Amino acid sequence: MASVELRGIRKSYGKLVVADGIDLSIEHGELVCLLGPSGCGKTTTLRLIAGFIVPDQGEIVVGGTRLSGPGRALPPEQRNMSMIFQSYALWPHMTVAENVGYGLGLRKLPRAEIARKVAAMLGIAKLEKLADRYPGELSGGQQQRVALARALAVEPQTLLLDEPLSNLDTNLREEMRFEIRRLHDAFGYTTVYVTHDQLEAMTTADRIVVMNAGAVEQIGSPEDIFLRPVSEFVARFIGGTNILRGAIRGSVIQAGPLLLRWGLGTPGHGLEASISIRPHEVELTTAPQDGPNCFAATVLRHTYIGAQRDYLLDLGGDIHVRAVTALEQHFAPGDEIGVRLPQGRCRALAR
Amino acid sequence: MIAAIRRPDPAILLFAAVAVVLVLLVVMPIGWLAWYSVTDAAGHITGANFAKLVIDPAMRKPLVVTLEIAVAAALGACIVAVPLAWLVSRTDLPYRGVIRALVTASFVTPPFLGAVAWELLAAPNSGILNQWGRALFGLDDYDYVVDIYTVEGVAFCIACYAFPYVFTVMANALDNIPSDLDEASHILGGGAFHTLRRITLPLILPAILAGTLVAFLQALTIFGTPAILALPSGFHTLTTKIWSLFQVPPQPNLAAAAALPMLLVTLLVLQLQRWLLGRRSYVVVGGKNGPPKRLRLRAWRWPAFLFCLFIMLFPIFLPYGALVKAAIVRNISDPLSWATLSASHLHFILWEFSGTRDAMVNTLLLGIGSATVVTFIALVVGYLAHRQLVPGHRLLPVLAMAPIAIPGIVMGVGLFLVYTRPPFLLYGTLGILLVAFITLEMPAGFQQVQAAMRGLHVELEEASRIFGATRLQALRQITAPLLRTTIIATWSIVFIGVIRELSATILLTTSNTKVISVVIYDLNESGELGALSVLGLFLLVVTFAIVLLVNRLPILGGRGIST
Repeated sequence: MASVELRGIRKSYGKLVVADGIDLSIEHGELVCLLGPSGCGKTTTLRLIAGFIVPDQGEIVVGGTRLSGPGRALPPEQRNMSMIFQSYALWPHMTVAENVGYGLGLRKLPRAEIARKVAAMLGIAKLEKLADRYPGELSGGQQQRVALARALAVEPQTLLLDEPLSNLDTNLREEMRFEIRRLHDAFGYTTVYVTHDQLEAMTTADRIVVMNAGAVEQIGSPEDIFLRPVSEFVARFIGGTNILRGAIRGSVIQAGPLLLRWGLGTPGHGLEASISIRPHEVELTTAPQDGPNCFAATVLRHTYIGAQRDYLLDLGGDIHVRAVTALEQHFAPGDEIGVRLPQGRCRALAR
Repeated sequence: MIAAIRRPDPAILLFAAVAVVLVLLVVMPIGWLAWYSVTDAAGHITGANFAKLVIDPAMRKPLVVTLEIAVAAALGACIVAVPLAWLVSRTDLPYRGVIRALVTASFVTPPFLGAVAWELLAAPNSGILNQWGRALFGLDDYDYVVDIYTVEGVAFCIACYAFPYVFTVMANALDNIPSDLDEASHILGGGAFHTLRRITLPLILPAILAGTLVAFLQALTIFGTPAILALPSGFHTLTTKIWSLFQVPPQPNLAAAAALPMLLVTLLVLQLQRWLLGRRSYVVVGGKNGPPKRLRLRAWRWPAFLFCLFIMLFPIFLPYGALVKAAIVRNISDPLSWATLSASHLHFILWEFSGTRDAMVNTLLLGIGSATVVTFIALVVGYLAHRQLVPGHRLLPVLAMAPIAIPGIVMGVGLFLVYTRPPFLLYGTLGILLVAFITLEMPAGFQQVQAAMRGLHVELEEASRIFGATRLQALRQITAPLLRTTIIATWSIVFIGVIRELSATILLTTSNTKVISVVIYDLNESGELGALSVLGLFLLVVTFAIVLLVNRLPILGGRGIST
């Protein structure tokens, strides 16, 4: 069993705190994505798990064994993990086959068995014909597959991926995304996957860990994260959203001149709260209507984006809202229209 | 359950050892130098040494002469190198590779050898050029056209072997300026000349200045050329004066005081140079850059090539020709013909002259020893610093690069002061020369390693660790093979540097510890110019062989040394 558990991990370089008390529990065989903007500590977390970084506080337990503790860590080579690096880190002085067989050689396997396993792995990664090439002679996608084959050849209990697709073009990226998921399901190891691309995380992960400023912001399934964000940061980072801030007045929130009702989530305990509503959930009408969460608005900007239209609206009191609508709803900048923020779609956020 | 224990990293111990060695190498000689400069022979603190520098005409005059020579040589080098670099890196000049190779040849020619060759060429009476001049213009026996034993002569001869510094810095800058910048000027209506004046020149001006400053430093701190060309006509530069202060009776305190200003000027100039080059970084701003587009010289192609060859007459063709001639004719004044050919000098150097064998063995030992030690320390420092393995990792590269600011002769004085007293009694042994060479060559070696380390992604090694390799296994299987060419290049560059060193060597050598450069200097003193030429050519052949080897190496992220 190779469940991975991080308990209260802290790490700082001087005054710079890169991991600020991370708690995270990953089941055996799970594929978990660490998602966040650059500098949020996701790569640091991965390297802490790999043993390249020693935590200041907290511990990392893998499969019931404590591998890292405050100021001490089992070196990476003894963790039975495997990793795909952002730069791929293919060794330029070794052929594809030598790269893939490297880890097996270190495990002192008989030569014939190494050759057999390398051949099998090259087959899985569709690299048979490139076995004797050097990494410098391969395309980006091929290099990526070599990195994958090399990482899987050692049959790791835990596979770590550090933004493995960020150097590929869009088409290849999509293909490799499904490939990574397919191999994960086929081999059944535990995977920790670092990315800053929410689409990548949504489509591959069992669970997503959204990170911000060295701490975990929210953990949940892709649906959880998208439909039930707990914080402004998560709502903004995943999918983009409108945030309306205001003071709590009983069961409504007063944001500027607007009184807003919400149907989802619970506000925090403070006096202030935020309401999140996604642009495609905003409803537009030709004239202002009566009812809860209905307001008058002025169209500031209209952008045609293929299958939809994207509007920027002024609701008065310096409150701007974006709306994405069907093509049929066509307004021009300057039009006075009606806006409804459906109560059942408005989510109160604790943070 | 607890499996994880990491013992104190052995890297820390290694770091401490290397730091101590570097501190000993750099700080001790400079410290003693400073102490000696403010004390008298009895060890009392005094300002008399510095006062004497300014007041005593015997000290002040060399100071003035040195400055004259350094300024003249730097300007001369600049004037020659700028058009040459522009032609080679920005135009369709024919045989650009040949010109670059010839510049490299000037770069690695030991300046003292060039000085001897110019003695052969332009001594007032026996000089080959003066013989030709007399025949050509019908002059009297004691008339002469050129005289190398003058301030101008010394400056000229220094410039001959200092211009590659300007050339290299400038050619690098020109190679890195994207052609788009020129093209942007053309599209806005700037003609070729206008573009050169308003765009290209301002862009490379910092590089020109920086290169010229390096040439200035070379001229300021060089010992061999003035020792060979200035002493015979009875004037001193600062370096030869410092050297003379070590003759009987030795005046180390005054020598220390005379060496210190040179160190300060060097520090200042290097800081200025860094500032100039640092500001140049705006050159590479912007998106994708194409390779530089070369200006078409059309009808001027061959005249320009002849101009380059003409310039190369002075550092290469004439001096090398003179050395070869002197090596193969019986007497130095003999004309070159079948009748005067002789292998006597070769025979003398190889079999009769007892100094040769010892000097060769010593040079070889010192070259191999210094190159190996420097390469090792440079690798350790480069690795520790790049991987940021130890606390204080920023300090090590600073220490390793520090000697770049220490002129050879200053280092010579400092080391003399340190190692002629207990507890380090190294004077008179090869050990003191080894220490000197290791210190002086450390920056060159470290720069090579640092460039390679930058091109070597950390993840390459980490990948090896995560697949089960220990740190040592990763070093052996991944890092070492990837750095192999760098190691060879670094080693070779240090070796070349060692076999051509004279400034520090001349102060630290004794009759038991002669090296080839010193033997050449001695042979010049005793007038054995034929034998000297043989030995000098031997030195050149070895140097060129190594340069060729290094330039054939596919070095990671670099292109071998110099041009």
